[in-house]
Amino acid sequence: MAGTISIEQVHARSAERADAATASIPWYIWCCLASVVSCVLGSAWDISWHESIGRDSFWTAAHMLIYLSGVLAGISCGYLILYTTFRKDSPLFDVSISMWGFRGPLGAFICAWGAVAMIASAPFDNWWHNSYGLDVKILSPPHVLLALGMIGIRFGLLVMVLAEMNRAEGIYRQRLERILFVTVVFLMGMTVGIAQEFTNRVFMHSARFYLVIMITAPIWVATVAWVAKNRWAATIMTAMFTALHLFFVWGFPLVPAEPKLGPVYQHITHLVPPDFPVLLIIPAIIFDLLRRRTADWSRWKQAVTLGAAFLVSFVAVQWPFANFLMSPASRNRIFQTTNYPYFIPSTSPWVRNIYIPTEHAPAQFWIRMLVALCVSILMVRLGIAWGEWMRRIRR
Amino acid sequence: MKEFRRQSALLGILLLAVAIPALAHVGSADVYYEGDAGPYHLFVTVRVPQVVPGVAEIEVRSQTGDVNAIQIVPLRLSGPGSTFPPTPDFAARSKDDPQFFTGSLWLMESGALQVRITVDGAKGKGELSVPVASFAQRTYPMQRPLAGLMIVLMLILGIGVISIVGAGAREASLERGETPGPASARRAKIAIAVTIILVLGLVYLGKAWWGAEDSNYKNRVAFYKPPTAETTLENGNRLVIRAKSENPTWSAKINMGEVIPDHNHLMHLFLIELPGMNRMWHLHPTLLQGGAFADDLPAMPAGHYQVFADVVDARGFPWTLVGTVDLPQINGGALTGDDSSWSGEAIASQQDQLVSQLPGGGRMIWERDPGALKANSAMDFKFSVQGKDGKPVQDLEPYMGMAGHAEFVRSDLSVFAHVHPAGSVPMASLEMAQAGLLGDTPSMQGMAMTPKNETLPAEVSFPYGFPKPGDYRIFVQVKRAGQVETGVFDAHVQ
Repeated sequence: MAGTISIEQVHARSAERADAATASIPWYIWCCLASVVSCVLGSAWDISWHESIGRDSFWTAAHMLIYLSGVLAGISCGYLILYTTFRKDSPLFDVSISMWGFRGPLGAFICAWGAVAMIASAPFDNWWHNSYGLDVKILSPPHVLLALGMIGIRFGLLVMVLAEMNRAEGIYRQRLERILFVTVVFLMGMTVGIAQEFTNRVFMHSARFYLVIMITAPIWVATVAWVAKNRWAATIMTAMFTALHLFFVWGFPLVPAEPKLGPVYQHITHLVPPDFPVLLIIPAIIFDLLRRRTADWSRWKQAVTLGAAFLVSFVAVQWPFANFLMSPASRNRIFQTTNYPYFIPSTSPWVRNIYIPTEHAPAQFWIRMLVALCVSILMVRLGIAWGEWMRRIRR
Repeated sequence: MKEFRRQSALLGILLLAVAIPALAHVGSADVYYEGDAGPYHLFVTVRVPQVVPGVAEIEVRSQTGDVNAIQIVPLRLSGPGSTFPPTPDFAARSKDDPQFFTGSLWLMESGALQVRITVDGAKGKGELSVPVASFAQRTYPMQRPLAGLMIVLMLILGIGVISIVGAGAREASLERGETPGPASARRAKIAIAVTIILVLGLVYLGKAWWGAEDSNYKNRVAFYKPPTAETTLENGNRLVIRAKSENPTWSAKINMGEVIPDHNHLMHLFLIELPGMNRMWHLHPTLLQGGAFADDLPAMPAGHYQVFADVVDARGFPWTLVGTVDLPQINGGALTGDDSSWSGEAIASQQDQLVSQLPGGGRMIWERDPGALKANSAMDFKFSVQGKDGKPVQDLEPYMGMAGHAEFVRSDLSVFAHVHPAGSVPMASLEMAQAGLLGDTPSMQGMAMTPKNETLPAEVSFPYGFPKPGDYRIFVQVKRAGQVETGVFDAHVQ
């Protein structure tokens, strides 16, 4: 009967577990991790470059890092798929999936898809600039295609790590779990990062800001909490996310830069850093604490509790923190609230520290907050389902 | 995040070379300017991009060979953005012509900008600023090969993601060596069906988003299209002109009540009789309450007239109101002040006319090189004025502060340019650009705003370039002994 396993396979699995305890991380995971790190550094650097220097070329270091990401993921996963397909003695052959006549780990196919999406975005973006001008914003259709490619590579890496992790035990599994945390951090960085035009501090007293954060963050918090064995998984992941963000916030101002495009509205002497990270660490701690107390509940009941707690705790800390970010007390090297892109006029609400309401009536605000609550619950439920599926990934 | 930027720039330059300028300002967006950067006399051409943000091509010709280096930098014309220049670019010296320099500048915004040019040479440093009206003129459709490539890539990605999800649902959770059973196959079918719906939804949303972005951009293009000159005739001879744009946000952002004087007048109105362009009036309406303009027309025959009305808004951005008006016989008075008129032969087709008889008995001669006129070629249009005796006149005087005014009009009215000896830039914008130059004076800019009683040489020149091939009529206006005289020339441009 299909779907059952033989006694030989049980023996093979035991042997595999024994190997897994002492095995080292395979080369293709390192390659894809290098690809993702390259992409993260390149993207953050490129955004800052566009905000500080403006002009670029095909050959900027930031662009090279992004291209390297696509090339590294594409070549390594392409090779892995071809090797697994045509070498029947490949150790991955019977832990691979088949697609279009090829065999390979599921994550490798996803990474390869991401690399193709990144390549496809290039001529699209090129045409977009010719037709609508050089964009000065992150959210445009070709950039979203590029971002989907980047997410694809990160998600592919995540699935590759999970497949390996779920077949492993002991120290090897712990090592893989660390890579899992890093990968989820990068995934959340991608989804939260691409929405940064909506998460500026001037929007932090509007419901849309909280809706955007609920769309982009809780799913990863729930996923990592359900897939990792660590009881503080959500806290660790968001702490790593915050640390990575702070690395850019504090690191970029150390690099000298000056605008090469005009008109220039801000006096720039160094790379403009990203905004101070949003305080996701607090709702993540609450999430981990509540998760333990609700472990025996139904999944939907858990999702309602955790999703609502996530939103409420986030609003409770971020709302007053926004006031602080708007105040003179935040204008220092720690919080970096006086660093604006060169193209932001002094008359901008951002520079003048004035909130921009995105809802124009209290009813609209509360309806949108209600939507944010529903989205948070749904995203947590989706994250739980995803996390449970991820626990089952073997290939 | 922005791949292939260099290729973008190169492709943009190629597209600029073949692009047909849109109907804006009117159909003549490139800037031609002649002036002094300190001790250096320069002829500057700014070939503006078709899309904004986009790359402008800057061409600088020095009259003398003592220039070592030229730097170029874009700024806002006034207000915020005009005080912090970005790092300047060096214009490259031509290998064939050491007095010719070229460079590229990104114009990141629409509106009234300036290109500041700093010259370093044997006589020290000099600086000038050229006002540039930056605006998106068009969008480019996707070329068929690229559209084909994108469709193929999107199909691969779409089918790829469906296949990956299907394969993942079927096999990802199987143990080593385990083969998928019916339950796995069923799960895969469900996953594929859901993914197909999601992919189609994503494609639909993406298309809607793209359409919205395209619509926004086209609105920006429409914003900068020449506003319509809506005209009404009151009391038999009072022509009232109001600006109206197709774009709904235009009237909210542009206040005609706040236009600034451009060489002594808030509006320069040109009425050209159609279809032959055999009569032309250059009038100066006054501003009424609410942003309308009005002028008591002089005596004019009944006819169908083309309206071009030049104004400069408070930020230094030039607008040309365009329209037509059918006028009855106007029993108005004589021309007054700086108003002027001309009448004569209809425009010639496919031939050049180089000599124009002047009403006072003299004549005006277009001093040009033999050979065909080429579109998009920067030229100095030189005209000499001779008296009845055939000798250069000694009595030319400034007309509205300048040696002359020239209007270039294409036979189909798709091009209209009001040009001065300093070039195609509005003098009001030039004054704003000049204000930003530290320690500069009007004479250093070569503004050609000549003192009223000064006697001028018998030759006047205008830097300009025809934007596209076709037949053009050129009206050249000078002032002699208190009388405005208009020479009219026809040009066939290849």
